[in-house]
Amino acid sequence: MIKRIFLVITILIGTAAFVGKGAVFAATAEENYKFYCAQCHGLDGKGEGVNAKPKAFGIDLPEMSVTPRNHTSSVDMSKLSDIDVQNAISDGGASVSKSSIMPPFGKTLTEAEIKDLTAYLRKLCKCKGK
Amino acid sequence: MSVGKVGRLMVLVVMTAFVVGFSWNLSYADGKGIFASKNCGSCHQIAGPAAEKTFDDQLKKKGPELWYSGSKFKSEWLRGWLEKPATIRLLKYNSITEKNSEKHPALSKKEAEDVADYLMTLTAKEVTAGGVTEASTPQGKNLFVKRYGCVGCHSIKAGAQKAGGASGPDLSEAGKRLKGDWVYAYLKEPKVFKPVKRMPIFVGIINDNEMKTIAGFVAGQK
Repeated sequence: MIKRIFLVITILIGTAAFVGKGAVFAATAEENYKFYCAQCHGLDGKGEGVNAKPKAFGIDLPEMSVTPRNHTSSVDMSKLSDIDVQNAISDGGASVSKSSIMPPFGKTLTEAEIKDLTAYLRKLCKCKGK
Repeated sequence: MSVGKVGRLMVLVVMTAFVVGFSWNLSYADGKGIFASKNCGSCHQIAGPAAEKTFDDQLKKKGPELWYSGSKFKSEWLRGWLEKPATIRLLKYNSITEKNSEKHPALSKKEAEDVADYLMTLTAKEVTAGGVTEASTPQGKNLFVKRYGCVGCHSIKAGAQKAGGASGPDLSEAGKRLKGDWVYAYLKEPKVFKPVKRMPIFVGIINDNEMKTIAGFVAGQK
């Protein structure tokens, strides 16, 4: 009986963790990048998305006060470990002593999606983490 | 007052209530009819709940869903906007690269009033009135601009100019348009209103009090 109760509790906690955790469907890293990250980092990852450089898109707003990371730069990206990148995505820029304009995506994306995104960034920079 | 006078007064009150109620019903029915005849539903979803599950589900939508309009918008603003639409989203709906240069169809004053009356009847039970004080407070500004970086995607007024990002709706006059209680509900229960969206989920990151302060700040932008 006790075993059964434990089993039920385990299943309930497991289900709650799964349901409560972000994404409702499985998207590829590239799809996630183009949906979320590209708003600031640009579809090509060069850090020139519409929020960073509105005027380049014909929008009359000043440039962003900080420059979003250029994900295609192997020089910049190789200074960061994969853990640094995952933390920045999950907990936002402030968690890695960068700008809070980079918001936390830890409640939006699953851990697996964040790891996949990190691998996608490594493809963009053609580099490895430190 | 004689019994006869009271009776006549009661008849008058009942008739007035009936006429007012009837004309409001007419306006509501007219608004619903105008919405249908102008095919507004081809871009705007008016029956909830939200059913989007994938990026594609969201990306194929042509305009903002309106099934919770009455909880979200201020009616005076809605009437005015339907008569004289102005750009809210700087980018085309669902795009992060194309400028929004579309002109939303305008309605006549009477049509705008009727459609607004109809849209204001569409509400979401998740929005409860009275929890948010609408005011552009320094605390709200600090959370919006510095702490949580909302300004990265949403523009607000900065002196005589505007500043902020362009991928989210412009919030520089959001308080004319949005109810603070709705902004709070949107932050608190994002999946109810828009299950798939570019804005991150902040539940579990921004606490309840801060959500109310941010919602009040947004609704304080006028």
